[in-house]
Amino acid sequence: MSSGASRELGTVAVTSEPAVGFHAQLHGASLWDLVQMECLARSRRVVEVTGEGGVGYLYFDAGRVVHASTLRNRGKLAAFEILGWTHGTFQASHRSWPSTPTIEMSPESLLLHAAKQHDEQGASNLVAFPARGGDAAGELLEEIELLEIGEDDDTLARGPETGEEGEMSMRTPNTDETPIPPSAPRAENAADFPVMVRLSSNGAVLRNKGGTEELAEATAYAHRLVQLTGELLGLEEFVSLECTFANERFIVFTEGDGDIVALRPRPDLNLQALRERLGL
Amino acid sequence: MTGASELLTSLGTLKDVTGILGSFVVTDDGRLVAREIPAMFDDTALAEAGGRLTRLRDTFAAVGDRLDVAVVRFRDHKLYLKTIGAGMLCIVAEGAVNMPALRMAANLVGRRIVPALERAAQAPAPPPVVDPPSAPARVSAQAPPGMRRFRGRAVE
Repeated sequence: MSSGASRELGTVAVTSEPAVGFHAQLHGASLWDLVQMECLARSRRVVEVTGEGGVGYLYFDAGRVVHASTLRNRGKLAAFEILGWTHGTFQASHRSWPSTPTIEMSPESLLLHAAKQHDEQGASNLVAFPARGGDAAGELLEEIELLEIGEDDDTLARGPETGEEGEMSMRTPNTDETPIPPSAPRAENAADFPVMVRLSSNGAVLRNKGGTEELAEATAYAHRLVQLTGELLGLEEFVSLECTFANERFIVFTEGDGDIVALRPRPDLNLQALRERLGL
Repeated sequence: MTGASELLTSLGTLKDVTGILGSFVVTDDGRLVAREIPAMFDDTALAEAGGRLTRLRDTFAAVGDRLDVAVVRFRDHKLYLKTIGAGMLCIVAEGAVNMPALRMAANLVGRRIVPALERAAQAPAPPPVVDPPSAPARVSAQAPPGMRRFRGRAVE
């Protein structure tokens, strides 16, 4: 897509914008086409998408979708939300860039996940996770983190014109959108995990919500101890450690990229759904 | 019945649960005091593992959490740890073990072995490790399903 081009999804009117390059008007184009085209072109661009769910932004760079944001979500979840919209318009945007990418997965993987999620949306509001392996744990954690981060996302260097209220006012009036409740029901949410610690494989604290420094240290050491115990006994490939204390529980697991994640759920939270989602 | 044989008999009952491969008991200071587990898990490995597992309990104690039960999941196996009296009951099981049955069996055995474990823990000298009569001296070639390495060596 050329700079300044705007396109139409479905039958919504196109937004025009004077700019260098072609101005496209493609009825029936899909966001999936957009993602594939932008990634193939390896362009660095922010695309504003207006769809039935509101306004969202996809950030493309070097053949990947590196960030996405909507009113409700950031990162991968926002990308999934946007890719779930079926009609609307998209156009180039000058929205400011995040200081760090929030999406690491390949565009192919992103589209596959979005497709799977879209297919399963009819049956559930939950994001679909694979039963085992892959990045299920990471996705779950990201979902929880994003719910927690909310509007306090400090990875975004926001411009003055990019406030959430502005995004709301840009909703297309002629779509048959169904109002989405502010908080869709989920199996787990941030409040279910008062403590959440993410460590890199070398023990650096990448994120710590509600945990003390001592807890992060204990997590790192406990992880190493059970890993060593497994090696010693020939029980290969540590997956998770679930501890039950007098009144609380604590879960430690390793993500595909080697990050160590520790969660302390609410005492009364039923962990079965979490275990299933993590493939435990 | 001696303390060691009491422990051994109780640990043997855990194998009623399908998927439990064996179990061992360590004292608070990490000493191995009983084992009912295939010989491929040699005493040295179990003692070293016991030391680490007690340090795991101590790690959480250091941040104010008193460990009751821990389930360590590996790719094909589970290690179930239960703090009891003066030590810890450690159960090695297959990944697909019936967890409710395992928990119940561990509770019952844990309760039963408390007196024997406390006696063993108070013994001045490290008690001899109870080995199964037919235990070979080296690693058996027969590994539990899914187990490919033992103490860093490939197992066929």
